[in-house]
Amino acid sequence: MPVIELSYSRLQKLIGKVTKKQISDSLPFLGLDIESEDKDLVRIEYSPNRPDYSTDYGIALGMQGLLGIKTGIVKLNVKKSNSYQISVNSSVTKIRPFVTGIIAKNGKIDDKTIKQLMTMQEDLHFGIGRKRKKSSIGIHDLDKISFPLVYTTTTRNHTFIPLNSEKDTTISEILVNTDVGKDYGSILGQSSQVPIILDENQNTVSFPPIINAAVTTVTTKTKNLFVEVTGITKEDAEDMLAVVATILQSAGFILESVKITGTKNSSPKLEQRKMTVSTSLINQTLGLNLNSSKIVSSLKKSRLDAISKGTNIICTIPAYRFDIFGPLDLVEEVALGYGIQNLEPILSPSQTIGKINPVSIKLKSLDHTMIGLGFLEALNSSLTSKRVLYDMTNRDSTKIISVLDSKSREHTILRDSILPGLLENLSKNIHESYPQKMFETGTVFATENPISEKINFSGISAHKDANFTEIKSIIQSALNIGFGIKVETKTATNSTFEDGHCATIILNNIPIGIIGKINSKIIENYKIRVPVVGFEISLSDSLLKN
Amino acid sequence: MSQVFHEIEKKIIASLRDNPKQSPESLEKSTQLSPDQIRRGIEWLKLKNLAIVTESKSSILSLGKNGVESFTKGLPERRLLDLLKTGPKKLSDLQKELGFVFGPSMGLARKNNWIEVSLDEISIKNSPSELLGEKTLKLIGNEKLSKDKIDSIDLSGLLKRPDFIIEDIIKTKEISLSDLAKSIKISDSVGGIDVEANVPEIFVARTHPLKDTIDEIREIFVTLGFSEILGNMTQSSFWNFDALFTPQDHPARELQDTFYLDGINAKKIGTPEQIRKVSESHKKNWRYQWDINEARKMVLRTHTTCVTIKHLAENKPDEARIFSLGRVFRNEKVSYKHLVEFNQIEGVVVGKDASLRNLMGIQREFYKRIGITKVKFWPTFFPYTEPSLQTMVYNEKLGKWIELFGMGIFRPEVTKPLGITQPVLAWGGGIERIAMLKYDLGDVREFYNNNLGWLRSATKCQ
Repeated sequence: MPVIELSYSRLQKLIGKVTKKQISDSLPFLGLDIESEDKDLVRIEYSPNRPDYSTDYGIALGMQGLLGIKTGIVKLNVKKSNSYQISVNSSVTKIRPFVTGIIAKNGKIDDKTIKQLMTMQEDLHFGIGRKRKKSSIGIHDLDKISFPLVYTTTTRNHTFIPLNSEKDTTISEILVNTDVGKDYGSILGQSSQVPIILDENQNTVSFPPIINAAVTTVTTKTKNLFVEVTGITKEDAEDMLAVVATILQSAGFILESVKITGTKNSSPKLEQRKMTVSTSLINQTLGLNLNSSKIVSSLKKSRLDAISKGTNIICTIPAYRFDIFGPLDLVEEVALGYGIQNLEPILSPSQTIGKINPVSIKLKSLDHTMIGLGFLEALNSSLTSKRVLYDMTNRDSTKIISVLDSKSREHTILRDSILPGLLENLSKNIHESYPQKMFETGTVFATENPISEKINFSGISAHKDANFTEIKSIIQSALNIGFGIKVETKTATNSTFEDGHCATIILNNIPIGIIGKINSKIIENYKIRVPVVGFEISLSDSLLKN
Repeated sequence: MSQVFHEIEKKIIASLRDNPKQSPESLEKSTQLSPDQIRRGIEWLKLKNLAIVTESKSSILSLGKNGVESFTKGLPERRLLDLLKTGPKKLSDLQKELGFVFGPSMGLARKNNWIEVSLDEISIKNSPSELLGEKTLKLIGNEKLSKDKIDSIDLSGLLKRPDFIIEDIIKTKEISLSDLAKSIKISDSVGGIDVEANVPEIFVARTHPLKDTIDEIREIFVTLGFSEILGNMTQSSFWNFDALFTPQDHPARELQDTFYLDGINAKKIGTPEQIRKVSESHKKNWRYQWDINEARKMVLRTHTTCVTIKHLAENKPDEARIFSLGRVFRNEKVSYKHLVEFNQIEGVVVGKDASLRNLMGIQREFYKRIGITKVKFWPTFFPYTEPSLQTMVYNEKLGKWIELFGMGIFRPEVTKPLGITQPVLAWGGGIERIAMLKYDLGDVREFYNNNLGWLRSATKCQ
């Protein structure tokens, strides 16, 4: 979840009459988790479905509502203008078909505002922009640009001076040499043509979704902004624009429209939507009995507009709240406006009778049998390593099941056996007193249509007198007491076990496992100084489910 | 009351009753026990408050080189007086006779007015019968003697002289019986042992502490009317993500968060209708080209919710309380607070009267049963529930609020495509976190280290 840093004093100015404590107490009830606090600074984590919370301006709007300082919808006032136009060339259709934009004038831009806008841009790119793939923003100094603009394509030999640079650079060089080029160049694929925004004088304004031109860089001297958003659908582009427009208006800018023409594109409307929700859905879902006026006031506290009509509530939703999909989302808005802290938990009697799964019951009873036999239960990861599972025990690793790109070398493959993990456990305990007896039951995996999962049961005993007879007695008693079955052992050879001390465990003429004295080479590999005996069997469905 | 004693203790007590104050050496002689047995016996009796051991220092004197010479030949001044007994002597003769001690003996004799010195001759004036120090010399002789047996005035005459007396400080122990021991009855029973002594540690065979917590949680939910269902840890992306309204380009689905099985895809992921409706819901709401091949990719489940949603899609109950419990996986760096594989419990309540307040009530009841009474709820976000809440519980030991289970009501975008018509309350969370609080562990990895030192000592009931 994204994290941003806020200043309490700045928030106080933005929100209005409010104390620092009121803010910190209310943050969690907007769905914002406080990560850490340091005097005036607070780091908060916000949910990716609320990109408007990526700046303190957006959080201030929400907080004003929750605290009842300003409630109801935030209206966007966009002045109609004919001075700003972008025409779209059909060549962009196959690469990045849509562009949209807005003008924001007469704002005060200080370092803190620039910082907030930068984090907003980054978070929008990462979240709803899906790492700039779906949509991306460019924020420019309006006064450095001569309108009208054209959104078109160019070759990879096209040159301009990119942001944070002083020299003319080709598109190819940008893609190879800059961090943003390396990170996001793949979005453009192998196409020889790339998207570009040029101004009236053929000067490059932006190379979306990679980088802006240096000439339009926003500084503390900038008064007026031009924001462009490009994307793969019109809705994606306009959703992102709605967030930016709302934030800039809250930051004190006067918005003016940009006219968009050309292939499939049109000017953004940033329109409010209407959605109806029934009072009964609200009350049933929350377990409350709120009247219409309480519901309406709660929705307004969530910065929406609402009126009641019969048993329904008709809600008006601003363009930046595209996280609202349907009526149940409005129910949540009611709950937030009403205050989660005001919802009293109730415990209604259960109409159902609870039941433990029969497999869990069987396994628990097997655990108790093993404890009675003096074995301690171990728990190992099912995602383990080739070293533990195969290399240390000389097992066949041809049917290995790996995961992709694990961050931990100790957790890269799914286990097909439990015993190797127990041997690894013994090796970590050579300084503890003997005898050491452990068992484990757990899932093992095999490639089969596409993966089969079975429950295996394994035990080991390590001490100076450990021998085959002892471990056979153990498995015999465990299975007899645990499942009422009698097994036989038949001579076998297995690379994990010592020749002449190894057998297959047979139930009704079907092999179900292996038992024996662990091969002395393995014991040596593990630097264990006492003999070890062990077994592993597969617990079939018929054993576990009856 | 009579008490059972070890044979060694009995012998020592008997000997001390005859002879109340003894040194260990004297006890050795009287009991015929070895020094080691005496040492142990005294230790045992001391622990039982039956023996009193007083340690004292004493000074032992013996004669030095000059002392021994004076013991055999007499003190220098005595030798001078003896020479003069036979009449006056010449100075040079006396000097020859007495050698080194001539000077000191002359000084002493003149000072005490024993002799008269004329021009060339020395004669006795009055001769003392006994000299200071002569008694002590005789007493010590070639032996060693305790200082307190010697007349201190007589001794002082020798202590001033160089290398006459050697003094050794010796520590001695004296054992005596306490008042309790004087009155205690000694049992005649043979082979009694010290029942109060420490014994070796024995290690219990047990279920794993984490398993105990899992079992406890399972049983609580069963008593709250929930039934347990099981499901696979390997799942198709369809059930782990798509069916739960998580778009295919969502960051959570990336390799860096989720474990994908290398080259393994599911052939059959759901019924044609389920696949069609889920894909339509994605296309309509998230606006992208839904790809069935992405849904076929096999993953290690990132939550147990995939098991519950599959169960609901297959059974479509009108009324149900079910839960699923087991291992889930996240591609994280392993640390003291993160594991790649951990246990999760996740449950749902299905029914037309299911409400958010009910859901909160079930959570509060659960926390109460595991001993957590300070609980509050905060709003949060999950892709598949709306409204969504998280529980914060207050931990007294840490003195802070900790996030535990998350919960919410399944979105219609999740339930509708799968033909689930009733509202579904869902909740769930990690179990290790609760177990860490119970066992007071600071490092979650301890649960999977199988460190016998910890497993053999962790207390069960906490």
